[in-house]
Amino acid sequence: MQTHWDVGEPDAPTINKDTEQLKTELLRLNMGPQHPATHGVLRIEIWTDSEIVAHAIPHLGYLHRCMEKHSENLDFRGVIPFVDRLDYLASMSMEWTYAMTVEKMLGTEVPRRAELLRILTGELQRIGSHLMAFGTYALDLGAFSPFLYAFEEREKILRLFEEVSGARLLYNYIWIGGVWNDWTDDQLARVSTFCDTMEEEAKKYHDLVSMNKIFVERTANVGVLSIQDCFDYGATGPVLRGSGYKWDLRKNKPYSLYNEFDFDVPVGIGEVGQVGDCWNRYIVRMKEVIESIKIIRQVIDKLEPGPIMGKVPKIIKLPAGEVYVRAECPRGELGFHMVAQADAKTPYRLKVKSPCFTNVSLLPHIAPGQMIADFVATVGSIDIVLGEVDR
Amino acid sequence: MSTSVHETSSVKEYFAALINGITTTVHGMWITFRYVWGVKHVSIEYPEVREVLPERARMRLFNDVLNCISCTQCAMACPVDCIYIASEKKPEGAEIKKTSNGQPIRLTLTQFVIDTALCCYCGLCTTVCPTECLTHSHDYEFSQYTIDGMKYDYLAPDVIAWRDRIVKS
Repeated sequence: MQTHWDVGEPDAPTINKDTEQLKTELLRLNMGPQHPATHGVLRIEIWTDSEIVAHAIPHLGYLHRCMEKHSENLDFRGVIPFVDRLDYLASMSMEWTYAMTVEKMLGTEVPRRAELLRILTGELQRIGSHLMAFGTYALDLGAFSPFLYAFEEREKILRLFEEVSGARLLYNYIWIGGVWNDWTDDQLARVSTFCDTMEEEAKKYHDLVSMNKIFVERTANVGVLSIQDCFDYGATGPVLRGSGYKWDLRKNKPYSLYNEFDFDVPVGIGEVGQVGDCWNRYIVRMKEVIESIKIIRQVIDKLEPGPIMGKVPKIIKLPAGEVYVRAECPRGELGFHMVAQADAKTPYRLKVKSPCFTNVSLLPHIAPGQMIADFVATVGSIDIVLGEVDR
Repeated sequence: MSTSVHETSSVKEYFAALINGITTTVHGMWITFRYVWGVKHVSIEYPEVREVLPERARMRLFNDVLNCISCTQCAMACPVDCIYIASEKKPEGAEIKKTSNGQPIRLTLTQFVIDTALCCYCGLCTTVCPTECLTHSHDYEFSQYTIDGMKYDYLAPDVIAWRDRIVKS
């Protein structure tokens, strides 16, 4: 059996007609597994022709933790701490999707307050995750201070999450049937003040980074993806929206209570550069932060006292069958395919459709013809979290 | 690949790009420069100043063995199986004590060990505890030289002594 890593050296592309007779060789360069631009442990094997990337082959599996197999030996509540560790920058969204999967099989009704609190935490998490993406993307391109400003705001979100759930990163907050703890009025007031400061901060980030000439030179017209490319590779989330296709599950297939909320789906329109380049993918994330703030304000207006936990049996046993549930996470569309056997306490199979995995498959497609420095900008703009790619 | 100022750009475009580059860079530098004064420090000088943790913060587990009824529910809820419990029946005629919330202690606890190196601090064990004796404490400074040191025997006298410090009321 031939595997993809022993196909031998790829053929050198002929770049210049005059040098056709000269023997040229491609140079193999390993980017990662410990390269700061790969955001985790991703190894990308790059074949370079001088400074131009000829082929890029991502090698996955450095962070593989057998999460899918392991969850077959855990009860349904015990899977949640492992689901947290998929996308560790957006744990709330991961938990939420998993909880919806089990609830759909159980037929549990989630109380209204719990649903609203889930939307509140989910959107706060989206802001936190996009702030991280913004900070690290600027860091990849050589700007250090935006990272610190982004972390100052993200810290406020983490502090709120720590107060309600008890942990800063891996919350185990959204449970099957509802949420663990209730938010106090004081905390909700702090969320409101956070929304106000965040709007001002977003303007500051825009002045600091988005319109900066150096940043624009590095990102505009770099790594252009057409809508057809996104469809071919199954890209979702800000990558798809950056290419100008308006697709957001919160709007197109509303789950939870999203149909009650008024918000826009930002897409790349090419104010700078062209639609589908790194700059547009970046700006979609920054605009989504503003949209999330809109949703959070509406949630706080709608919140009324009530129960936060639905009726769930003490030992969860699902009926036989299978279900696929998907939701819009900060990085794209996350799906859980769960197969359950009758009266079993554990999932028979839990398959994760991860948005980062499909987005990372775009890299071999974008890379050929790029400069190495542009390739770094492209990897950063796709915003991958390796915990989710490898599972 | 990018739209840089190349040879074919006109004089007007060249100067427009130059001015744009200077103004946006100065603008960004001004934002950073404002942080020189008037901005509150966010860092904490750690060993001297400590952050007050929220009430629900999930740090090292503590089991109050005097209240434990050896029901093993925590060990079953644990997703990483890091809680080891052993108990034996009390001899006949022995006095049956009660926990602080009135549940009878019918079994003698002989082992209650938590491997903190395995623990993932998810908090599932504390939610199922019927007597609320297993809780997350606020201790976060417990690094060890060996991995065996991370196993805490909650029946050991020195660990029981934590109770005075952790359990309020």
